[in-house]
Amino acid sequence: MSFVPLALIAELTHRCPLHCVYCSNPVELQKSALELSTDEWQQVFRGAAGLGTLHAHLTGGEPLARQDIVELVAGARSAGLYTNLITSGIGLSEKKLEDILAAGLEHIQLSFQDSREEAANAIAGARTHGLKVELARLIRKQRVAFTMNIVVHRGNLDRLDEIIEFAEQLQPDRLEIANVQYYGWALPNRDALLPTRAQVENSVLTIAKAQERLRGKMRIDYVVPDYYARYPKACMGGWGRRLMLIDPAGRALPCHAAGVIPGLHFPNVRERSLEWIWRESAVFNKFRGEDWMMEPCRTCDRRSEDYGGCRCQAFLLTGDAMATDPVCSLAPQHALIENQLQKNNLPADDSGSTQPLRERANSAWTYRVNPT
Amino acid sequence: MAIPEDDSRPRLAPGCRWAEASNGERTVLVPEGAIVVKGTGRDILEHCDGQRTFAEIVQELQSLYTLTDVQKIRKEASNFLEQLREKRIVDF
Repeated sequence: MSFVPLALIAELTHRCPLHCVYCSNPVELQKSALELSTDEWQQVFRGAAGLGTLHAHLTGGEPLARQDIVELVAGARSAGLYTNLITSGIGLSEKKLEDILAAGLEHIQLSFQDSREEAANAIAGARTHGLKVELARLIRKQRVAFTMNIVVHRGNLDRLDEIIEFAEQLQPDRLEIANVQYYGWALPNRDALLPTRAQVENSVLTIAKAQERLRGKMRIDYVVPDYYARYPKACMGGWGRRLMLIDPAGRALPCHAAGVIPGLHFPNVRERSLEWIWRESAVFNKFRGEDWMMEPCRTCDRRSEDYGGCRCQAFLLTGDAMATDPVCSLAPQHALIENQLQKNNLPADDSGSTQPLRERANSAWTYRVNPT
Repeated sequence: MAIPEDDSRPRLAPGCRWAEASNGERTVLVPEGAIVVKGTGRDILEHCDGQRTFAEIVQELQSLYTLTDVQKIRKEASNFLEQLREKRIVDF
């Protein structure tokens, strides 16, 4: 069997000072008392390197909430892994930044919720935007690969030009603009987040223009919402093919959201070796390859490109993790997507009169909570 | 996009580094993945250590290939490095 977990996603903690309405963490968060220790994480990093993993993505929650973050960065790097920190920035100081860079951090991804303070803070449920801008300036002074991540949605997609200009001022090497994906905390907020078709079409043009203008200066990657795609995404490059996620309590998952699928047992790194988990465990083999597929995927020409789409989305929307991802235009249950799109593309919306976020009362959102 | 000047000292950009050698292949790790570098590209990139100037690199490549057409080597190295700079893999 030739699959290699090229990337390790290390969810160091689910604690986070932000409460973003589209957080991709599971709704069932891991308690801080169950978090892996420093030594246990170091063992994970060495085990992953032994399996051929190249990149370690240290994330959360907010990874800086771990008191031992400098040691963890050093551990991942000395295991030979390329070390990336995915952070809101909260908890970072100039000193802490220098320490984690000295420990071997190679890439830092700083998240922003918007270009405007008020809108950003409304999404995050916390007053953090101003601090992030200061941190971006500190990061840019250092010799490190710097990516800014901004999530876009119905409420800010019409201001994409402004968002790109905002990022330009902070001079990251790369700007990742991603539409919300409907897992975790985003699903209950979907009606308010899913853009209109016109918004998505315009955004693609805006991005193409900006990419041309900024070529060689700032790279822009754009993730469109899969609800508007004709075929599903090859989620995580295929189940159990390229990626392994370890959650704060040591459970190994094939992706961020797999915990929602009932009946799966996720092995724990406290009990099993990473090698056994990757190669032998039932859960990593569950949707590997094509044998599990049902029609129309089983005989579809695209099955080795998109692997039937996302298992978690299939479960969340149809109640059956074996089903074809309903975003696929060929899926028997594609009407579930069509109905949602209809709801979010009512005639009033075609004029571009999408409801600005500030007019949405905070009480109307489902905010991510903090684990106990 | 500017081509490297003779006195510039090309090197891997921040967040890019050589991976440890395995099965003889040479790989550069970058923020979003890894690229395998082969042939002439590998020779060029292995000389970009931030110490050598671009002129020195061209000279060394010339003796490596025992070629006489310096302009051709210069052009190839220059195009290659320009492309990698655009992808933020090389600095000069």
